[in-house]
Amino acid sequence: MSLIQLQGISRVYGSGPAAVHALRPANLSIEEGTFVAIYGASGSGKSTMLNMLGLLDEPSGGDYFLEGRNVAKLTDAARSEIRCREIGIVFQSFNLFPHFSILENVCMPMRFAGAERREMKDRAAELLARVGLSDRLTHSPSQLSGGQCQRVAIARALANRPAVILADEPTGNLDVKTGDEILGVFHELVDEGHTVIMVTHNAEYEKEVQRVIELNDGNVVRQ
Amino acid sequence: MSFFYNVESTWLSLKHHAFRSLLAMLGVVLGVAAVVGMLAVSEGARVESVERIQRQGVDNIILHSERPQANVTGGENIYFYGITTEDIEHFNTVFDNVKKVVPVVELHRTIYADGKPTDVGLMGVGPDFMKISRSQNADSRGRWISEADGVTASLVCSVGVDAARQIFGLEDPLGGTISVSGSAFEVVGLLDNPLRSKLAGKHDINNLVYVDYETLLSIYNRGTLQVVADYVYVQVDDLTYLKNTADRIRTYLAETHDLPDYTISVPYELLLAEQATQRVFAVVMGSIAAISLLVGGIGIMNIMLANIYERTKEIGTLRALGAQRKTILAQFLFEAVTLTGVGGVVGVAIGFLIAMLIKYSAGMPTIVTPGSVIVALSVSILTGIIFGTHPAWKAANLSPIEALRR
Repeated sequence: MSLIQLQGISRVYGSGPAAVHALRPANLSIEEGTFVAIYGASGSGKSTMLNMLGLLDEPSGGDYFLEGRNVAKLTDAARSEIRCREIGIVFQSFNLFPHFSILENVCMPMRFAGAERREMKDRAAELLARVGLSDRLTHSPSQLSGGQCQRVAIARALANRPAVILADEPTGNLDVKTGDEILGVFHELVDEGHTVIMVTHNAEYEKEVQRVIELNDGNVVRQ
Repeated sequence: MSFFYNVESTWLSLKHHAFRSLLAMLGVVLGVAAVVGMLAVSEGARVESVERIQRQGVDNIILHSERPQANVTGGENIYFYGITTEDIEHFNTVFDNVKKVVPVVELHRTIYADGKPTDVGLMGVGPDFMKISRSQNADSRGRWISEADGVTASLVCSVGVDAARQIFGLEDPLGGTISVSGSAFEVVGLLDNPLRSKLAGKHDINNLVYVDYETLLSIYNRGTLQVVADYVYVQVDDLTYLKNTADRIRTYLAETHDLPDYTISVPYELLLAEQATQRVFAVVMGSIAAISLLVGGIGIMNIMLANIYERTKEIGTLRALGAQRKTILAQFLFEAVTLTGVGGVVGVAIGFLIAMLIKYSAGMPTIVTPGSVIVALSVSILTGIIFGTHPAWKAANLSPIEALRR
């Protein structure tokens, strides 16, 4: 069984002649432990696809099976629960909470999952050590470089041991060297058995990943 | 989601927008301070007026003899007027629920001590006056004038503590003598009224000389006195029947007196009227408080909406990380309630200061009651809930992708 299975999933904004088909009905499946790039130009529908996969948006039609469970039409509370436990999201601009320490930032998803305070802090420290930031636990995001912030974001995405990590242009705000380092972190995660799905418009990354899903004008043109 | 997180997140948010938060809080602070201060003034005034009335005795009905005005007498010269001996007898014997009837007659003559005139007044009172006026014997060596004094027409008197100081200065008043119109009275006792009440609301009880009522009447007959009693205290045995008894006295006097030569005052009725006035006052205060807190609440709502607008992306991120709607709702509601709650506490403290300031600078009595503090705090927290709900609801219902796009 595939980790992710999309069956005729689509997203239409508006209705009638003015309707915008951001994502036309698509079928695809993603196996566990793969590093996947969703590639396309601006407006191709790759972000819409990521929002669907991350349960941030509701599909207009079709089914979405995550670990065999259809999650396409759930209540907001159930979707939040799945986002919390099964999905880790890494944003292009990191989206860290500026007033909290990086340790607290990593703790955040665990708070939503109802973890114990002690257990939460231990795991956060462990994850930050893993991305090479063990000596910065009490620092605030503003004291870190962009690359370090993205490492914090990756640690945060891993907090609740999600089934899949979604990364939205994770290197978009970083220089090439730092971007490559972040990519290296993803490679390590995949090697450990994690599933990483990364949205990118950078064709260079094609050779870095195991699989490319290309979108153009809302259609999946390659998978 | 833990309470601890809400506290931490609220603290960080308020700290980050310290000045803005302070300004928002100011409305609630001033509103609550005004409420506490005003309630303290009104409570002080209430207690003072209630005490003033209670000093006259809430279980008493006080009758005053009044000289009828010339326009009701048809120009006829009235020599004798007021409550009669028959009236007093009637109250004593016919009315049930009447516990004591104490006539008081004032002698309008100058009192001399050591041949020198004094300023104190002299009253002829029934033996029960001591009890009915809630007075006590100030000197254990002395005694209150008794019924026996009346029977034997003994020339003895009891002197109020202030009158004794005035007449005798530092000398021992007991055994001393005062003289009025040729009669000399020996001082046998000192009377102290700890409430510092006024007889019929006019004469300071501690500043009078008391002689037995019957004795006074027998010495100074109608040739001297135009009334048999200037005042009559009628004490009822049960407050429940006070109004009924007062009404019966009114009816009786209306039937037996041709001229309006008396008035009736019922301290308890004055008390009720006073309480009614206080209620009106409280409603006015409450309205002012409601308006000021409304203004404060709108300020809170304003800052919360601004906060949410500014933190939209943060809310989107929280939702993307798995925060439930109710978590966001609780977080922002907690923030609003913290603002108003802290504002309420600061407001109560300032209200206390205002009350103290009024007390010591204007000399008005002020009382901050626990009730007013509890009400002020509850209302300020309620303001947070009422005015924080809309912004919090708005935050909780932001679509995650819409919020993340900001």
